[in-house]
Amino acid sequence: MKPSEKLLQKIKEEQAEPAPRWHFAVKNKLLWAAFGLAAVLGALAFSVILFAIQQTDFSILSHLSHSGLELFLGLLPFFWIILLVVFLLIAMYSVQYSRRGYKFTLARLVGYSAALSILLGTLFFIGGGAQRLEQAFAVHVSIYESIQEKKVKLWSMPEAGYLSGEIAETGLDAFQLKDFQGKTWTVRYEGAFIPPVVLLERGEKVKLIGEIADDGAFAAAEVRPWGRMGNRKGEVGSRKRRD
Amino acid sequence: MHPSEEICRQLSEQDLVRKSLEQMEYFSCLYDRYEAQLLRYVKRMGVLTDEEAEDVLQEAFLKIWKNLNAFDPALKLSSWLYRIVHNQAISCLRRKRSFGKDKKEAFDDKRFSDLPDEGPAGNPEAMEETGRHIHEILDELPLKYKEVLVLKFLENMSYEEISDVLKIPEGTVATRINRAKKAFREIAERHPENLVL
Repeated sequence: MKPSEKLLQKIKEEQAEPAPRWHFAVKNKLLWAAFGLAAVLGALAFSVILFAIQQTDFSILSHLSHSGLELFLGLLPFFWIILLVVFLLIAMYSVQYSRRGYKFTLARLVGYSAALSILLGTLFFIGGGAQRLEQAFAVHVSIYESIQEKKVKLWSMPEAGYLSGEIAETGLDAFQLKDFQGKTWTVRYEGAFIPPVVLLERGEKVKLIGEIADDGAFAAAEVRPWGRMGNRKGEVGSRKRRD
Repeated sequence: MHPSEEICRQLSEQDLVRKSLEQMEYFSCLYDRYEAQLLRYVKRMGVLTDEEAEDVLQEAFLKIWKNLNAFDPALKLSSWLYRIVHNQAISCLRRKRSFGKDKKEAFDDKRFSDLPDEGPAGNPEAMEETGRHIHEILDELPLKYKEVLVLKFLENMSYEEISDVLKIPEGTVATRINRAKKAFREIAERHPENLVL
């Protein structure tokens, strides 16, 4: 018996049938859908990373007297970085296992997936979606420590020289500050660096760098707005308050 | 009823696939057309006996039959067939290795009967000897080097075809061939008495 006849006989014996075409088409489409979904989720993660960077004042590191690396690592939004990496990997592997995916080198797969996530993520961030997503996470995921919580924690170390809160009362050389734990401080700001965006008005949220003067009093060397990083332009036009 | 050899010969690759899906008997045309070429490849990959090689081919063609609808017409049919046969041959070799059956067996000189007419031309004995040593060196190489060398230099495939068979990017094929050639040369230099190229 010819080998080809033997093969046909075997096929008949096993009652083997070709798998339907739709089976392969669906598998391929699912892989591309997984790529699209992973790229979008990666983009969302990237947008929150951008938001975290925007919210975190990395210049604080230059004021540190103790381990800057430890604090730097504490400032990084690891949760979102890990999510981004996971989604990038899913996106890469989805393409690689698609019908012609093997044609792409690993570098190209990384490049395309990352580029797509960065592009979409930046658009989402600009549209304000990152902040809403991050807040939604903070509200609905109990174990998740929000960027805001991290920030409050970082700026609630008066013994290390960092204090933050809301201005309760204003005076000529000092103001009353209610920190986020509810404690009231008298903040003296003679000679302090204060960018123009800081108005020193009642109800304004600020963060301070300085030192504890005595119990309940804080001598500020810098007063910064709570909301966003003081930008360079602001600093150029900054003023010093003196007697 | 099996189609005649004449009918089989007239069908293009695409027609063969289409006809096979319509009528299973045409699948034998596909087998007959590629049998010799793929058997030779399976043996070059290290499956040593005729019987084992034919088993590999039968199993591979059973898979080809089951996945016939997965054939991407953008590919050359031969590349797709080589891919499945290659995977089946590798599985067979791994199985043999795990059972400790990969001891060197008698060299089958048919494996290198199609070597290019370079080297000790006109001297069949010397050619056979050279073929044997090439085979020995290939067997010493890691699989990822051996497979690209066999596909490139013994099966005379292009980078694109090798890329389609092994499912790796063309750039990787080129890099791997370069490294494989270097590794081949190093082994050959360790045994200069064996090879006259």
